[in-house]
Amino acid sequence: MLLGALATVRHALQSVARAMNRAAGWGFVVCSLLVTFDVLGRKFLGVSTQATVELTGYLLAFGIAFGLAHTLAERSHIRIDVLVMRLPLGLRQYLHLAAAALLVCLLGILTWAAWSLVEESHLFNAHDTSVIAVPMVLPQGLWAFGIAVMALFACVLTLEAMARLAVGDAAGVERLLGSRSLDDEAKEALEAAGTRTGAKETA
Amino acid sequence: AQSATSLPPGPKVSIITLTQPIPNVPQYTLVDKPWFGEELPKRSGGRLVIKTGTWAENSLSGPEILRLTRSGQVDIGAAPLTTVSGDVPLLDGVDLAGMSPDIQKARRIAEAAVPTANKELERVGVRILGVFPYPAQVIFCRQGFSSIADLKGRKIRTFGASLNDFVTALGMQPVSIGFPEVYSALERGVVDCAVTGSGSGNSGKWPEVTTHMTTLPLFWAVTAYYANLAWWNKLDPAVRGFLEANIKEIVDLQWKLGADGSADGIACNTGKADGCKIFNLVTKNPMTAVAAGPADQAQISKIFADTVLPGWVKRCGARCGELYNEVIAPISGVKYVAK
Amino acid sequence: MIAFLLVVLLVLASTIWAMFGGQALGLPVGELVLLAGLFLLFFGAGIYVAAALGLLGMLIGLMYSDRPFWLFLGQTIWAPSSNYVLVAVPLFLLMGEILLRAGLSEKLYRALNVWLARLPGGLLHTNIVSCAVFSAISGSSVATAATMGSVALPYFERTRYNTRMVLGSLAAGGALGNLIPPGITFIIYGLITETSVGQLYIAAVMPSLLVTLLFIAVILWHGLTHGRMQAPARLPLEARLRSLVDLVPTTLLILLVLGSIYGGLATPTEAAALGVVGAAIFALIEGRFSLRMLQDSAEATARTTALIGLILFGAYLLNFVLTSLRVPQAMAEMVSALPLPGWSIVALILLFYLALGTFMEGFSMIITTVPIVFPIIVALGYDPVWFGVVVTMMVEIALISPPDGTVMYVLQGMRPSGGPITDVFTGVMPFLAVYLLAVAILLALPEIALWLPRAMS
Ligand code: NA
Ligand code: NA
Repeated sequence: MLLGALATVRHALQSVARAMNRAAGWGFVVCSLLVTFDVLGRKFLGVSTQATVELTGYLLAFGIAFGLAHTLAERSHIRIDVLVMRLPLGLRQYLHLAAAALLVCLLGILTWAAWSLVEESHLFNAHDTSVIAVPMVLPQGLWAFGIAVMALFACVLTLEAMARLAVGDAAGVERLLGSRSLDDEAKEALEAAGTRTGAKETA
Repeated sequence: AQSATSLPPGPKVSIITLTQPIPNVPQYTLVDKPWFGEELPKRSGGRLVIKTGTWAENSLSGPEILRLTRSGQVDIGAAPLTTVSGDVPLLDGVDLAGMSPDIQKARRIAEAAVPTANKELERVGVRILGVFPYPAQVIFCRQGFSSIADLKGRKIRTFGASLNDFVTALGMQPVSIGFPEVYSALERGVVDCAVTGSGSGNSGKWPEVTTHMTTLPLFWAVTAYYANLAWWNKLDPAVRGFLEANIKEIVDLQWKLGADGSADGIACNTGKADGCKIFNLVTKNPMTAVAAGPADQAQISKIFADTVLPGWVKRCGARCGELYNEVIAPISGVKYVAK
Repeated sequence: MIAFLLVVLLVLASTIWAMFGGQALGLPVGELVLLAGLFLLFFGAGIYVAAALGLLGMLIGLMYSDRPFWLFLGQTIWAPSSNYVLVAVPLFLLMGEILLRAGLSEKLYRALNVWLARLPGGLLHTNIVSCAVFSAISGSSVATAATMGSVALPYFERTRYNTRMVLGSLAAGGALGNLIPPGITFIIYGLITETSVGQLYIAAVMPSLLVTLLFIAVILWHGLTHGRMQAPARLPLEARLRSLVDLVPTTLLILLVLGSIYGGLATPTEAAALGVVGAAIFALIEGRFSLRMLQDSAEATARTTALIGLILFGAYLLNFVLTSLRVPQAMAEMVSALPLPGWSIVALILLFYLALGTFMEGFSMIITTVPIVFPIIVALGYDPVWFGVVVTMMVEIALISPPDGTVMYVLQGMRPSGGPITDVFTGVMPFLAVYLLAVAILLALPEIALWLPRAMS
């Protein structure tokens, strides 16, 4: 019951996270076009945005923050779990959960810190010092939002993992929190069993 | 008033200051480090324990110094007014491009503006204790020119909206690239020119990649010592008075260094050994200094009045225009007229 | 492991200091051991790297700082998030992803395979050489590893090259990014120590050649000891020449990026953006370009960037706390003050950088410690230009020394079918060893760095 509700929330958040990651990606495409325009414009047309440093910086901040949650959903954030993976699954699940809980702690701190920064910029009514004088609450607000979504997602993930642990679903915990390498190792094992073809050999 | 040379006994006060961009600028090695770090503790009879530091050592780049001080990470911070003007736009008006080629005048303007600036800053928990300049901010170029009129059409790396307005009015093309890339950009010709202090350019090795520099100061990178207001107000009045009196002396030294450093930077860059005492003498391909003629000076003043000042008021708001006319115009001699 | 080395080093150093009658250092050895232990525990227990770094920072701050350091954390993580110079990283990543989906990187490696396959080590050499070429345009090691990684990793996926050697060679190649001019580290070092950046660039030429050759030697050795017997039959010359056509697009792209920097059109950061547009144009010519493909490339870029970003958050948090407590500065002062002969002080300083590099970001490492260490180096009679090259090498080594190194994390994040991060750690070891060997050679023969600048002036 609770497990089902948590899984539904997680799925919903995963879709949001995927959409945000897509936006982050397009942000980098825009960034490339902006800089290219700036380089060619100043060389051949004598025009420039005059604020490329600021604008590309904001696109980077946006890109990092909006990709965070999806990267967690894809289980791509880096852990050094070599030792963990040598333990039996029963023990392993607790370490997965500990890692997730500590990640929630970090993200709680980061979200709070990012939000405080936005509030401070609001108090100052801060703008950047470029020609276009962007209000800092805009890029910083989007950035803080991206971090907050990852924090929320990590929370839900941890709760669901706890619920799974409670009902004894250790494999489920691993599916939620284990590194991506696990599935792939399984896949590789299957491939190694004989389906592998076409590998060009050299060294 | 509290004496600057002694302090009545009392509990120890430990202070953290973070004042200059990098550890090897003379503003730090010749003034802040020996004075805050050694002279003040000595004069205080050991009552003050002061740790000094620079932005870079703490991975800071400058615009965040107000907030650093405000949040109580340091007790006294320092950063150029224009650098932190994103947080408090009023501060930019103290050091606009073209406003004061004369360092005496620049000092009178800056000091007159401190009370007004403090009213604005105290709202966010910070207070200016004193202001000082960097060596004259000038233009370095990788190709020759004989007057600023020749600079028309060249690409110049700028920072901040006022400088941007200024170079645009000169007919130059402002380019926005990050500071760590400026050296290579000058070397390869991505930009033709860039602006920095005559001495800062020397420390940054710009003479290796540029050939000509202007000598007329565009602005002074006027910098302030900011104190965390809550800390400042809670200080023992004797300590506060002692600090106030000492910072007055420190600021005097900094203004002298600003004037000496400007000339010294030019001498060093142009390979004149006898005038080069503070920065490093350039022996290989010394630069050519281009002095401003009367026509250049007139053009710069006109750009300030017609473009830079109105541009700043537009960004900062009408109230900034009023405050400028009230406090700075009587010294700068240029009134802001709303259009 | 290296964190432990650091503690051992410190305890040793303070003992020596005490033996020579120095004053008590007041180093909290017990706490240091505790923290190093926690560091190891975090990594060993499979905690997310970002959480390990960041929470360690919080812990140290709460234990030792008398300032409300948490009030500044927002600014601390905003700085790397919006840093203009870091923008090059996702842009070069995006370029690599487009090249990959356009099939251009596959073509590149297939063509090279025709020429290199019979060499001991085969295509692994390409990783090093192409990284070296790319380093000549990029000033960032992470961007170098990311670009070449995104091109090479998918290709090697379908070969039976040793995964660890593939990852190790890419990480090592990435660690040439700053050493081969241009490099941002040299500019920062030049700024702090008032050393000529131009001289530093020239001085770095021979050492970077040395490091590159040592890397190639590692691969040759690997090739000779592993499966040399399976070398494929030699292809006829005509087929080999025909394969060269496949090199054309990538070569043109490299020329575009290189040329835009050397021709004064763009800065290295901007060149990354030109690279993206160029890659898209070549994809269009290949008939492989579509909005869908662009979106897939962009999404993959965003994922890898987020992975780096989160680690940067943790690293900057730790960094802020450590520097505001002046830990690196205090340790640098201590090492420098030891009453030992000159060469051993220098060796200790280099060891100190090696240790510091395990948990500090390269630039902050230089900026916080070089002002303290530099005067001592000069006083000992060492050349500032030489030291600049050596310090840059130490920064590069920090990036590829386990357990904490951004270059390794980036590569791990880009592996198409995952695998344990120890693959990267193990793979990089032989390269790390020869990198350290190169530093040792430079310590013994400073002329390797200094000869060229002198000859040219
Ligand atoms: Na490079
Ligand atoms: Na490392």
